[in-house]
Amino acid sequence: MNQKFDAIIIGAGVIGCPIAYELSKMGYKTLNVDKLPDAGEGSTAGSCAIVRAHYSTADGVAMAYEGFKYWLNWENYLDNVTDEKGLAKYMNTGSLLLKSQGHDWKKVQKNYDEVGVKYEEWDNDKIKKMVPVADLHEFWPVTRPEDPAFYNEPVKELEGGIFCPEGGYVNDPALSAHNIMRAAEAKGAKFMFNAEVVDIRSENKRVTGITLKDGTQIDAGIVVNVGGPHSFKINKMAEGVWEGCNIKTKALRHEVMYCPSPEEYDYLNKGYHMSDGDIGCYVRPEVGNTFLIGSEDPDCDPQEWVDPDDFYAGKGGHGKDNVLTEEQWKAQCYRLGKRIPTLSVPNQPKGVVDLYDCSDDWIPVYDKSDLPGYYMAIGTSGNQYKNAPVVGHMMAQLIDACEKGLDHDKKPLQYKFKYTDRSTDVGFFSRKREINYNSSFSVNG
Amino acid sequence: MQIYICVKHVPDSAAHITILDKNRIDESISFLLNPYDEHAVTEAAKIKNNTPDSEVIAVCLGKNDAEKTIRSALAMGADRGILITCDKNYDSMVTALALKAAIEQDGTPGLIFTGKESIDAEGMQTMFRIGAVFDFPVATNVVKLDIEVDKAVVDCELSGGITNTYEMSLPCVLGAGKGLNTPRYPTFPDVVKSKKKPVQKIVFTDLNIKDSPAGMRIVELEPLHQARQPKEIKGDAGFVAKEIIRILKQEAKVL
Repeated sequence: MNQKFDAIIIGAGVIGCPIAYELSKMGYKTLNVDKLPDAGEGSTAGSCAIVRAHYSTADGVAMAYEGFKYWLNWENYLDNVTDEKGLAKYMNTGSLLLKSQGHDWKKVQKNYDEVGVKYEEWDNDKIKKMVPVADLHEFWPVTRPEDPAFYNEPVKELEGGIFCPEGGYVNDPALSAHNIMRAAEAKGAKFMFNAEVVDIRSENKRVTGITLKDGTQIDAGIVVNVGGPHSFKINKMAEGVWEGCNIKTKALRHEVMYCPSPEEYDYLNKGYHMSDGDIGCYVRPEVGNTFLIGSEDPDCDPQEWVDPDDFYAGKGGHGKDNVLTEEQWKAQCYRLGKRIPTLSVPNQPKGVVDLYDCSDDWIPVYDKSDLPGYYMAIGTSGNQYKNAPVVGHMMAQLIDACEKGLDHDKKPLQYKFKYTDRSTDVGFFSRKREINYNSSFSVNG
Repeated sequence: MQIYICVKHVPDSAAHITILDKNRIDESISFLLNPYDEHAVTEAAKIKNNTPDSEVIAVCLGKNDAEKTIRSALAMGADRGILITCDKNYDSMVTALALKAAIEQDGTPGLIFTGKESIDAEGMQTMFRIGAVFDFPVATNVVKLDIEVDKAVVDCELSGGITNTYEMSLPCVLGAGKGLNTPRYPTFPDVVKSKKKPVQKIVFTDLNIKDSPAGMRIVELEPLHQARQPKEIKGDAGFVAKEIIRILKQEAKVL
């Protein structure tokens, strides 16, 4: 006889685990299945785990700001559970958004005002005082080192930045997912690892369960796709789901670099998370006094949409597999080298290559599907890590409401944040939406 | 003094190496300056800064793409570069002859650096063959270097952490080891400056290298599958720490 649960959650990353946690707290008997050996070992582990509020939509800002409350009270959120691996730490460095042509910072500032995000405006003198290694010339537009224009002398200066004292990063993203798994288990949730889903079963137009690669069948009336970069493959296994999504997801290859800080600058302990659209980079401190350098996906950079199974197996060749490329290493490090002229750039690339689960408009899909009982928290596009605990709570509310009869497509759930005095229309994240051209179409969300 | 650094364009050790035709690798991966050569470049640049009228020249035998490696050496402090372009990989004997011909065509070496080995072939022969064709003394795995008026005083690290000190007449050939220095990596302004530094290209066949009396060729390449054998150290934190120190000292011999 098949094992039976109320809800099966496919994926045990930083979004799959909090969905299990919240559903378990509501009394659902849940099972997370993941093809990897432990929680958070997939694309969660490759996340930069940055916690910042600036998004291109007010709803995006509000959700991120709500997320701060969870990260700031991590033990409390976990209900003081014990994790034998220890607890992840939220490093509240503060977050600096440089005003540049690379960001619609005026829209961000308007969103901050609307949501009530605390911030300060810093002029260049203040930035130089707080970030003494920075050269505040304008380098726009973003180009690549192969382009002679990359080496043009700058002539203008930037016009300051917007500093949020709340913002930073989580020091170990995989551990944060593991922490939430332990918290969920304490509420009765079950987790199964090294278990690859090969089929989503349904009968009479309703989901009935999953089948694993070894043939094991597990039954549940609710199945939630939180498969990260594999999300589109999982949707295709479920009857009518892929076809019923107006917004699709794909896996996008992405490189993040580690470059040592200049010796005289204690970036690890004194630096900020910085978003620098002028050079198309974001940075945060990392252990060993290094800069973690992410790309804001400028138009000049190649985009590689890949098969996630091939990618993780190391297939595809140069620029498509899971090895850093020298070209992108130089692009990201030299871009930061313009902002920080004393940054020394080693010859051998060091960093992380992983995948974004990216939707057509870089805004996630948090929704039901055309197959009753099948839900999705997908398309998290490299910018939803910080929202994970909020998404867990919101998805649990959505699933519970739909199972109790809500027609979410006709009358979308209005999700009331727990900490921020604000609601959000969950229909914003609908699979049926038209592409949202208000999005930044980038990691900035 | 003219200081020549013989540098090599090698595959990134983190790349997925694929063997083709059982005797070569798929070269559509990232290549970079051989890491041991970084120590050589750093040391040469340091000597240059302390020696008036000296010049550092990076020399490389490689395909056209190897210019990137010369550019890396220029960004790290070399003054100019010489790329001997070829369309295939040569053994250390031919390489030494080609490097000698290019260096002699260019100037008079006061000192020749290499890395102690390249991370691709790991042949550890080229520096000795360069010494042989020039008739210069050679030291490898150099971890300390003092240049005096007419000699070099070098410390070379042997296996087991033993260090020998040698006095060498100049010119000489030195294979830089990891312990020699911390590589001085370039800043973006260094990279910008290096773009203006000249790189002379010489076609390998124009050097008229005669066939060497002996040679080496790769008969077959096979991937090395090294099974990991993890061992858990059990016990309290104090015991585990002591055991790690013991392993690092007695087994790994790195402390």
